[in-house]
Amino acid sequence: MARPIRLLIVDDEKRFVETLSKRLSARGIYVEGAHSGMDAVALVQARPFDVALLDVRMPGMDGLATLREIRKYQPLLQVIMLSGTASINAAVEGMRLGAVEYLLKPASLDDVLPKIEEAARRKLLMEEQQGPGRPTGI
Amino acid sequence: MHLALLYEQPNPSRKGGARFFPDATIAPEAATHNIIIRGKPIGGDMASPRPRHFRHVWEPSRFLRRTILELLFIPPICLLLFSLGVLFWGPHRSAAFFVTLLVALAISTALGWPIAVKLKRQLVALKRQRDAFYQEILHLSKAAGLGEVASGVAHDINNPLAIIREEAGWIDDLMKGGDLQEAHLRAEVLSSLQQIDFQVGRSREITRRLLHWGRDSSTRVEAVDVNQLLSKTLYLLEGELQATNVQVVRDFSPESPPVSGETAELRQVFLNLMKNSLDAMKEGGGTLTLTTRPRDRGVRVTIADTGPGIPPSVVSHMYEPFFTTKPDGEGTGLGLPISRWIVEKLDGSMEVETREGAGTAFHVTLPASPLPEAPPPQP
Repeated sequence: MARPIRLLIVDDEKRFVETLSKRLSARGIYVEGAHSGMDAVALVQARPFDVALLDVRMPGMDGLATLREIRKYQPLLQVIMLSGTASINAAVEGMRLGAVEYLLKPASLDDVLPKIEEAARRKLLMEEQQGPGRPTGI
Repeated sequence: MHLALLYEQPNPSRKGGARFFPDATIAPEAATHNIIIRGKPIGGDMASPRPRHFRHVWEPSRFLRRTILELLFIPPICLLLFSLGVLFWGPHRSAAFFVTLLVALAISTALGWPIAVKLKRQLVALKRQRDAFYQEILHLSKAAGLGEVASGVAHDINNPLAIIREEAGWIDDLMKGGDLQEAHLRAEVLSSLQQIDFQVGRSREITRRLLHWGRDSSTRVEAVDVNQLLSKTLYLLEGELQATNVQVVRDFSPESPPVSGETAELRQVFLNLMKNSLDAMKEGGGTLTLTTRPRDRGVRVTIADTGPGIPPSVVSHMYEPFFTTKPDGEGTGLGLPISRWIVEKLDGSMEVETREGAGTAFHVTLPASPLPEAPPPQP
């Protein structure tokens, strides 16, 4: 891939965002972190991302509400939901809102990384299909 | 707190229904909530909005209407007989008049007595059915409550576990990628190890909550300290509190007397009310205020939130089983009816004050216990 994957991690657990960012950055991924839904929406408004790792349960704007918002600004952004509990309702709702994966914490990086790469490839493919003239949100 | 509505739900077994005090300042059309009435598989078919046997348990008015109609036939018959007596035996108070009256009374008693007996039997049966129904629901909801707590604990514990995994992975990355003799790498490893230790402590705190649940599941009727029980119930919701922008204010009166009841049942009441409050403030945050006050040889517990309030159209239905405004799959519509049933079983009462845009307060009044207070459980 010509440019690194642009990943947004959204989780209210600051240390989780920090350490996962360090590990993924070491693997050549450009990572930005947000500790709330509001911060994530602001970042998505500001610059494009390929993939977002989104926690479901967060104070204030939760994962599903954040997903709904960020999809407005970047419809092609590939969102992977990350949750502490296997909630079928949240998973179904997430998929309905356009999430591509629903992973359970504590997920191993060996599981998460291939999903991120796959989602980034899908995003690239969708951009190519849309053509250069079509807007992609940002 | 400026709360405009008072809806009181007295014990239906004693007073025969709910009183309703509407407030003219709040129009029912102001209600904006979506109301979902759903059937549940407990005791009935899923296709009907309410399980079949449940209709008989919870709609005694249909039966009463029919009985009242039957009773309505009796006075006209008496009147007819009386008129006939007057017509045949003259307008003045004669012996015939009294005979007619006696006959009318006898007929009225003969017809009315079996109906009255039937009515009483039916009402007793209805009450028994209701109690059996709620007993069954209570049993199920206790199991569901444990499931909910277990699910909350699973969520809360998976967060520190995820951090532990990432920190361990980071140490692994550092060991594979560089020379750990370098000071900045050693500092990184040390920081990760400290973080792992911290997250283990956090996990241990969460598992303690589960132990509390098991320890406080007494099904014996005993003297329960409501202040202590409220604190412990709140402790179970610690994870949910962290996931929301909700501040908790505890305003417990040390003068509050202990109440009689099963700890597990009373906790169910407080847990239901607190969870409702937290759900109401999930979106915008707010303040959850828990208040206890001694009152009329008992205690009054108030669980108040600063959420959006309950519209009048919902208040009039909220004690109906299976009525819920929560999204599909999140609410059973049994929390409030089961809570009220438990409170009334203990000769207490439950009231709600709510105002749209200002919040909701549930007041639970329970009589003081004549029993000596149970000793605190051993840690």
